[in-house]
Amino acid sequence: MSKSEHKSGELAISVQHLGLVYKTTIDRRPTLKARVRTLGRGTKHTRIVHALDDVMLDVPYGSVLGVVGANGAGKSTLMRVISGILPPSHGRVEVYGKVSTLLALGVGFNPSLSGRENVQLGGLAAGMSRRDIEDHFEEIADFAELGDAIDAPMRTYSSGMFARLGFSVAVTVRPDILIVDEALSTGDAKFKEKSLNKIKELRSEDRALVLVSHGLGTIREVCNEVAWLHKGKLIQRGEPNKIVDAYEKFLKVGKSAAIDEDV
Amino acid sequence: MKPVPVEVYEPFKAGLPPLRRYWRLLWARRAFISEYSRSELHEKHFDSVFGQVWLILNPLLLSGVYFLLIVIIGGQSDKFRYGHLTASLFLFYFVANSMTAGSKSVVKGQKLILNTAFPRIMLPISAAYISFIRFLPTVLVFFVIRTAMGFPFGWAMLWAIPVAAITGILALGLSILISCANVYFRDIGSFLPYFSRTWLYLSPILYEVSALKPKLRSIEAFNPLFPILDSWSRSIVRNEAPQAASLLQGLAWALGILLVGTYFFLSRERDFAVRV
Ligand SMILES: Nc1ncnc2c1ncn2[C@@H]1O[C@H](COP(=O)(O)OP(=O)(O)OP(=O)(O)O)[C@@H](O)[C@H]1O
Ligand SMILES: [Mg+2]
Repeated sequence: MSKSEHKSGELAISVQHLGLVYKTTIDRRPTLKARVRTLGRGTKHTRIVHALDDVMLDVPYGSVLGVVGANGAGKSTLMRVISGILPPSHGRVEVYGKVSTLLALGVGFNPSLSGRENVQLGGLAAGMSRRDIEDHFEEIADFAELGDAIDAPMRTYSSGMFARLGFSVAVTVRPDILIVDEALSTGDAKFKEKSLNKIKELRSEDRALVLVSHGLGTIREVCNEVAWLHKGKLIQRGEPNKIVDAYEKFLKVGKSAAIDEDV
Repeated sequence: MKPVPVEVYEPFKAGLPPLRRYWRLLWARRAFISEYSRSELHEKHFDSVFGQVWLILNPLLLSGVYFLLIVIIGGQSDKFRYGHLTASLFLFYFVANSMTAGSKSVVKGQKLILNTAFPRIMLPISAAYISFIRFLPTVLVFFVIRTAMGFPFGWAMLWAIPVAAITGILALGLSILISCANVYFRDIGSFLPYFSRTWLYLSPILYEVSALKPKLRSIEAFNPLFPILDSWSRSIVRNEAPQAASLLQGLAWALGILLVGTYFFLSRERDFAVRV
């Protein structure tokens, strides 16, 4: 990978009026039978989920953006749109650099394969060459500290082991724009510490980091800006301590002045 | 100076993505297809000795059963008949396996689709490729059979190679088409066995094309496998050159299905991630 020449402060990601709609079936899988049966009646079988709604966000190079929000707020969805996995339903996303297209969550897509095979396949799917993967593999395995388990089928992994491998993959490949989704929450204390240090180490002038986490302590410590999502809407963004305080208060009370305005 | 974005993501309109770029992304990931196929085969133990034996034994037993049936019902046996039956069944199962694997491919790759950006068409291509790998040993077995039974050898047998290539295009096209359809209608997988059984009986496998009543030959026009199996049997069993018309007809079908399948797939694939 060539050395990027992005300057601190230059725009890395620009999210403009982004909306995303998932279409899922209400209670059963979409089948031909169901379609034929409901043909005459014209009933719709799809449920619409507005996972993101009019989100505006800029991320400059040299910054670490933390994203917080309750479960189902749309954080992972936003990361998927930025990585080019989901096409937006409304709005526009501009990306000024190479994004990590391998999200941590993608690791282990086939649980009957070993950790090693999953990492290799995931890397190949993301467009890395065999050499690239080989070069990085040692580092990934070392960082995850899985030992022999790396060659065991992933269905035998604990959720912490899953998370370790996912995090290692995400941080070892070094794109201009690095997205880490929620890998810090299931590891044990020692691994949390280690990954926190890794994130700090990865902060640099020519890289933009987006960190999705439920670990609010981590967010306070490493981010220089935080965005708070709630039910697909961007509630607030700004200085980490201020936003995290407001979010914590919201979590305790169950509602917040910031949300009441919008809803 | 305002920098130019490397990537812009906007709502997708129905229609094809930029093809040249798509092809570039696909080509860059060609190693994925072989690696993925290998791990799939490994998972099903087809890389072990017993797995291989089963792969060959299954169509072989089937051809034995059908041959018995023909002898009992028809009362006549002929070694060419057996050769035709076996060779045709092997080729048919290449196509049928590709359809079955294709139907599962996209839904099975759900987790990968939701977390990695890549040309989705890699999944049904891998499915077709796996079926091809599974087809190869059966060709070998057929060569053992035809040597043992003393079928004529000769240069005309080489025609089997372009015929197999045409079949490959057909198998790929069907895999792509069905994998896409399966995202919208998840029960296609359960209809497939009936469909392929019917297709088996409507194809010149249990009978030879020459044995068909002229009246019944009209099904020929609607069955892509008709000209393909006829050419296959002529070349690999009887060491005869296939008819040019059959080859062209088979090729036209295969390319047609591949084009239609690819068009549907490419114009729909950006919708997959929000649907699977
Ligand atoms: N594949 C999908 N199909 C349909 N709806 C989905 C899909 N993935 C997510 N959703 C819905 O979109 C919304 C946002 O989900 P998302 O995964 O982005 O949340 P999140 O903020 O990452 O939550 P968490 O903190 O639990 O990871 C949720 O309401 C969820 O039900
Ligand atoms: Mg999430």
